[in-house]
Amino acid sequence: MKKKVVSLLLATTMVVSLVGCGGGSDSSTTEPAADAGTEAPAADAGTETEAAADAGTETEAAADVEKPEEITIMVDGTVFTEENGRDQFIAKLEELTGIKINVIQPDHDAYYDVVGQQIASGDWPDVLILASTQMSSYGSEGVLWDMADAWNNSELKKRQEAFNGAGVVESMFIDGHLYGMPAAHGNGCVTYVKQKWLDDAGITTLPTNFDEYYDMLLKLKEAEGVDYVVAASGFLNAEAPFINYLPEFYQDAWPSFYQKDDGTWADGFAEDSMKAAMERLAQGVKDGVLDPESTSYATSDVRNKFYDDSLGVFTYWAGTWASNIKNNCENNGLDGTMAVLEPIAEVGEYIDRVSPAWCITTACENPEGVFKYFIEAMQDGGDVQFLWTYGVEGTHWSTAAETLYADTDDPKTYAEGEFHMLDNLETPGSQYTKAHIDPMLALTELADDPRETTVAPEALEAQDLFNTHSVGAFVIPSTDAMNQYNGDLMTEKQSLVTKVALGEMTVDEAYAEYESGGYADMSQQIVDSLNAQ
Amino acid sequence: MKEKKKNKTMAKIYKYRGFYLMFLPVFVFAIIFFYAPMLGIRYAFTNYNGIREPAFTRLENFQRMFSMQNFWSAFWNTIQISIIKLLLTTAFAVIVSILLNEIANLLFKKVVQTIIYLPHFMSWVVTASIFSLILSPSSSGLVNTLLVNMGVLDSNNMIYFLGNSKWWRPAYYIINLWKETGWQTVIFMATLAGINTDLYEAAAIDGAGRWGKMWYITFPQLRNTILTVIILNLAKVMNLFESAFVLQNDAVLNVSNVLETYIYYQSFNSGAIPNYGYTTAVGLFKSLVGCVLVLVCNQWSKKVREGRGIV
Repeated sequence: MKKKVVSLLLATTMVVSLVGCGGGSDSSTTEPAADAGTEAPAADAGTETEAAADAGTETEAAADVEKPEEITIMVDGTVFTEENGRDQFIAKLEELTGIKINVIQPDHDAYYDVVGQQIASGDWPDVLILASTQMSSYGSEGVLWDMADAWNNSELKKRQEAFNGAGVVESMFIDGHLYGMPAAHGNGCVTYVKQKWLDDAGITTLPTNFDEYYDMLLKLKEAEGVDYVVAASGFLNAEAPFINYLPEFYQDAWPSFYQKDDGTWADGFAEDSMKAAMERLAQGVKDGVLDPESTSYATSDVRNKFYDDSLGVFTYWAGTWASNIKNNCENNGLDGTMAVLEPIAEVGEYIDRVSPAWCITTACENPEGVFKYFIEAMQDGGDVQFLWTYGVEGTHWSTAAETLYADTDDPKTYAEGEFHMLDNLETPGSQYTKAHIDPMLALTELADDPRETTVAPEALEAQDLFNTHSVGAFVIPSTDAMNQYNGDLMTEKQSLVTKVALGEMTVDEAYAEYESGGYADMSQQIVDSLNAQ
Repeated sequence: MKEKKKNKTMAKIYKYRGFYLMFLPVFVFAIIFFYAPMLGIRYAFTNYNGIREPAFTRLENFQRMFSMQNFWSAFWNTIQISIIKLLLTTAFAVIVSILLNEIANLLFKKVVQTIIYLPHFMSWVVTASIFSLILSPSSSGLVNTLLVNMGVLDSNNMIYFLGNSKWWRPAYYIINLWKETGWQTVIFMATLAGINTDLYEAAAIDGAGRWGKMWYITFPQLRNTILTVIILNLAKVMNLFESAFVLQNDAVLNVSNVLETYIYYQSFNSGAIPNYGYTTAVGLFKSLVGCVLVLVCNQWSKKVREGRGIV
């Protein structure tokens, strides 16, 4: 009898545990809790948010749009992570918008893997952040709500037009559809060179063409006695804009699909400019100026090598990253002064990537409401935009009189009422520079914007240089052939470029393999499908 | 007669109902987690991107798969890398076990055993980071620096072991040996401990030296265990992902891309929406080959282990 009772108990326990397994909630989904200081969602759904009202965004047409009570958003690491005060941020956002917000935030590096899984599971969030490639793919498959009409009839468009931000949105239209709303300019990369290295090498004039640039690399290598001077995370990236970490080597080459002046599509990989770029990469590795391990580096690896003085030239994001780079170098005891290169003659312009966008899925029950009260509010020019730009008072910024980093060589003292960003919660020792929206890249004007006092001069300088010397990227539409072949094709392109760069094969051998492996045919099928659209 | 047999069976079930009840959760578990997911096999015959309804395409995915050069490259890489890795690791594990067995000082033996077990518990990501540093083609790379200092290499001509098609596999096998040899010795050490010492004494009386004892007693005693280990692992050769994934890069895909990494790249590398129908077809093919290997190994196992198979 005893045995029976024990066996029954064991069996029951296991069955219950199995059922329990299935009923568990996603650990990455956060429910902003009341004990985190969140205000309950506004009961009077349909009322205008304070911030939006302040910014005067209320219109008669919009007043008919019902405010959603609760939404689920899926975001990457460009929104504050849990370690960086996400709970406080969401609580404040709920307070300002009156919408209860559930957040799904996977690890930043695996974001698009998880997005793919989430979409395939059928359990779609109401809103999610997508890069241009994914936005195009999911848009064409009917996953995303077309917000073209909503945007065209919105106050947001007027505000963006008044601030020269509307062009960014217009560049994201695909065949008349708008599947996502950028929160800011896409931004892009500029090339930073350590001033100390330039001084050591006796270089007083910055390069203006590739010969001068390459000569600079050789001189820096010799002067510093380092293994390599420049590196990147991969010789060719799989994601657009593909080449932005090594612009001087790629110059006018484009390894993927683009629309020619006559409106037809072509694959730049098969063009002579790409072959010449591969030769330059190979020469760079051979001469010991370009790090061969670039093929296995993540961006953080390259950053760390730059910060520990293993590298002297680094192409990375303009704007606030200029401050991060300077501060991290100085934290390592290095001179943080950087020379920012204007694009060399062969590059012409840096690439302003297509901005990641906030998309609404077709699973959302009230997309008009989400657009108006969540996405449009994000750029309301008032409190909500301020929150998305600088974060939460007391957590990410403050106006209290205080001294930060008092026990360091570089304390920062602020007077009462002086706006300043606070110390980073995750990596103490460095101040926050922004929240989700970079103040230098905003598409709409922010009232009482403290950017003049918060943005470091080096960040402004790098951003201004980029803004002056950049050209906008474009969205590549998605087709069935693209979905079917581009995985194999991109893998092969990356492999061939890397093999040529590392001297394992010549350019001719690479293109012979490209032909014989059937990849040229795949490319042609994709081009044909793009032209048939 | 039939009725009688049925009653007998039912009576047996009733008699052992407690055990059947205990088995029930395992049965439910197996159905939910092992058999129900197999319904997904049907996607191999469809175009399915997780959004639209699957469109039946007969054997189109398989036709495409067999026509893809990258697929065949990944398939043969999987077979070659797995089998060579298995043979090398087993051989080294046997040698190390025998050497350990010869150590008389028990404390020293246990310390050595513990040290060589430890890498097994290290994650592949950490292992890859460590060896990327050791094999780096720079002045911070231990191996290249040693070779330069020994005059074997020129400092401007270092070898990028993990980024060169010729060197990647040897480097991969060595890293695997470092990580897994210790753990594999556990089973051989157990066998060695079970060898009757009378045999060694008898051999000594017959004039056998250390080598003779090893050759005529230790090796024959280990033979069955070695074969069993090889056969059991041979059935799993198609399951290769983590170690290859964390050590490979764009430069060595032709020698390092295995079926599971091939599926991964098909799913996540294009930025476009993957065709899960195609990746399921590749997965199904991999499983079928794995299944055939299990059955073949089972037959071998029956021969080696006197009628006892592995399934």
